[in-house]
Amino acid sequence: MATIAKPLARPRAQEHEDPRQYLMHDPLPRGQMNAMVMEAMHTTSPIFWAVTGVLVLIVLFALGYEWYILIMQGQGTAGVLRPDYWGVFLVNTVFWIGISHAGTFISAILRVLKIESRRPFTRAAELMTTFGLVQAGLSIFMHLGRVWLVYWMFPVPNERQIWPVFHSPLMWDLMAITTYLLCSTMYLILPLIPDLAMARDRTEGGWQKPFYRILAIGFRGTEGEWKNLTTAMNIFAFAIIPVMFSVHTIVSWDFAMASRPGWSSTVFGPYFVIGALHSGMAAVAIVLFMLRSTMKHYTYFIRAEHFNTMGMLMLLVSMAWAYFYFNDYLVPWYGGDVWDKLVQEYTEKGPLGYLWYTMLICNIAVPWAFLWNQKWRQTPWLLAIVGLLINVGMYLERFIIIPVGVTINRMPFTWRQYEPRIEVPMTIGTFALFLLLYMLASRLIPLIPVWEVQEGQEAHMIRKIGKAEVSTLSDLE
Amino acid sequence: MSEAITLLAMFKDLEPAAEGVDKLQQLGLNDDDMNVISGIPIKHTILGRPPAITYVSRIGFFGAILGMFLGIFFIYGIPYLYPLLVGGQPIFPVPMGFIITFEMTMLGLMGFSFIGMFVDSGFPSYTPKEYTPEVSDGKIALLFICPASEQEKFINALKDAGAESVAPAEARHL
Repeated sequence: MATIAKPLARPRAQEHEDPRQYLMHDPLPRGQMNAMVMEAMHTTSPIFWAVTGVLVLIVLFALGYEWYILIMQGQGTAGVLRPDYWGVFLVNTVFWIGISHAGTFISAILRVLKIESRRPFTRAAELMTTFGLVQAGLSIFMHLGRVWLVYWMFPVPNERQIWPVFHSPLMWDLMAITTYLLCSTMYLILPLIPDLAMARDRTEGGWQKPFYRILAIGFRGTEGEWKNLTTAMNIFAFAIIPVMFSVHTIVSWDFAMASRPGWSSTVFGPYFVIGALHSGMAAVAIVLFMLRSTMKHYTYFIRAEHFNTMGMLMLLVSMAWAYFYFNDYLVPWYGGDVWDKLVQEYTEKGPLGYLWYTMLICNIAVPWAFLWNQKWRQTPWLLAIVGLLINVGMYLERFIIIPVGVTINRMPFTWRQYEPRIEVPMTIGTFALFLLLYMLASRLIPLIPVWEVQEGQEAHMIRKIGKAEVSTLSDLE
Repeated sequence: MSEAITLLAMFKDLEPAAEGVDKLQQLGLNDDDMNVISGIPIKHTILGRPPAITYVSRIGFFGAILGMFLGIFFIYGIPYLYPLLVGGQPIFPVPMGFIITFEMTMLGLMGFSFIGMFVDSGFPSYTPKEYTPEVSDGKIALLFICPASEQEKFINALKDAGAESVAPAEARHL
């Protein structure tokens, strides 16, 4: 009588996996973890200062001198001319807002869903949100031209009878991005307070002692303080998620609300949100790789499991992006509107068609080819390269939507190929400023939320069930 | 209570700290006269303590209401004060009013929750406080007030519970 329906696989030689490969099951005393994080902050090599110096020079040139030229000589120094009034500055704005979504996604959504592998890198992602939004804000100012008149957009009483028109998606953008910047900065600060208190306790003298003393705001860790802090963090974790979705949806409406071929699409909202997550996740992978490679002791905190988590998220988001892109592509193609058809043909077969193919390769082919394999996902340098390529693809996607998209309009006599000019060094400047802020922050604040890591390690334990040792999680909060 | 003294007991782990809280309660100490200081948030039931009261969510809710009204004022009140007629469009843009109202509500909710955390915790505060930096290295401190005449009894009970040290708490600049 056959009792076995299928033959069983032969057991592998190494069936048992070591639970200590996971951070939550490899605890160190809290004091030792604190010492590791503080030492990483205070260990700076000459290369660090050399890179910092170069970045400062780039920022001064690109965002100081070049911006001065742009202001003094006007937008004519940029490549924007009829019909391409929206150029690389707005590409940068959308790109950096997209990058900023990763922080909220990782910190808030993974916190709400209690995904434990988020713990060591939530702050690194939150910092990306804040610094990314700074670049987005600067890019909008660059696009404005006459930056000193920005207060015309603010709802303040004035005698000019010029009042912000809330009918305009640009006003929604102002409100949404301001809300997101303020809230994500507050969300960065809240879980940072206990780690600043730790830095205060472990700092003996010098300028650092008063610096951390002031920033730690007198936090001790009493029951009431923790209760208030965790309550506020929970409110933020839930409330910032719809704000995050609203921000990029509203950014998409900057385009979709215009009755312009290629832009007027009902799917632009979710398509932009997924695109933001696509570039944001990829950027987190790059940042994790750089932190692990350059910061002392970070190999303990950032492990293969974290790259695996990021890789899976990147693959999932890549598939979702492909779905939305196909949706956005198919409907106008099937509809057969002559102007939509012209935009699609120009995008695919025009002089910049190679950008379209590169975008598809970077955003779909590369992640699908490399992220299905767990071993590859756990290889930090490979994940960082995939992340870099995804970001190249996502930058091209925004470039195709904005300046390439506005080239083809319903007035063929205005068609003109956009060529960025002063935008190029200023774009490099935003990237340099982002890196510079991140590098400086890595020396001033603990990038690993040590208390969250310890909390996770306290909550996890190995339990033997039958013949297997399994990971269990208790609810300590 | 006769003359009172503030003591600080240090524990290495959660179990002896919970035992210490239990001992203090058995000795008749009121829950309001003790506080646990730790490097991570600990659920009150683990230590057998009553839940801490927080007003952060209420302050946040108040902020959300305030933000909502501010948003409504922006979108519906201001165009009434400064009418700007755009061909064919209503002066009160109702659907897009939701966007501004939503953003202002969320800003109010989170902004006031953030401020509420500071206000409710008494932050920032740079006055001397009873504290030891060992807390941020993972130890758990039990801070309590007891009659000075009975301190020996409390110290012995906590040492029996597994306290590493029990000493008068010193208020110091953090």
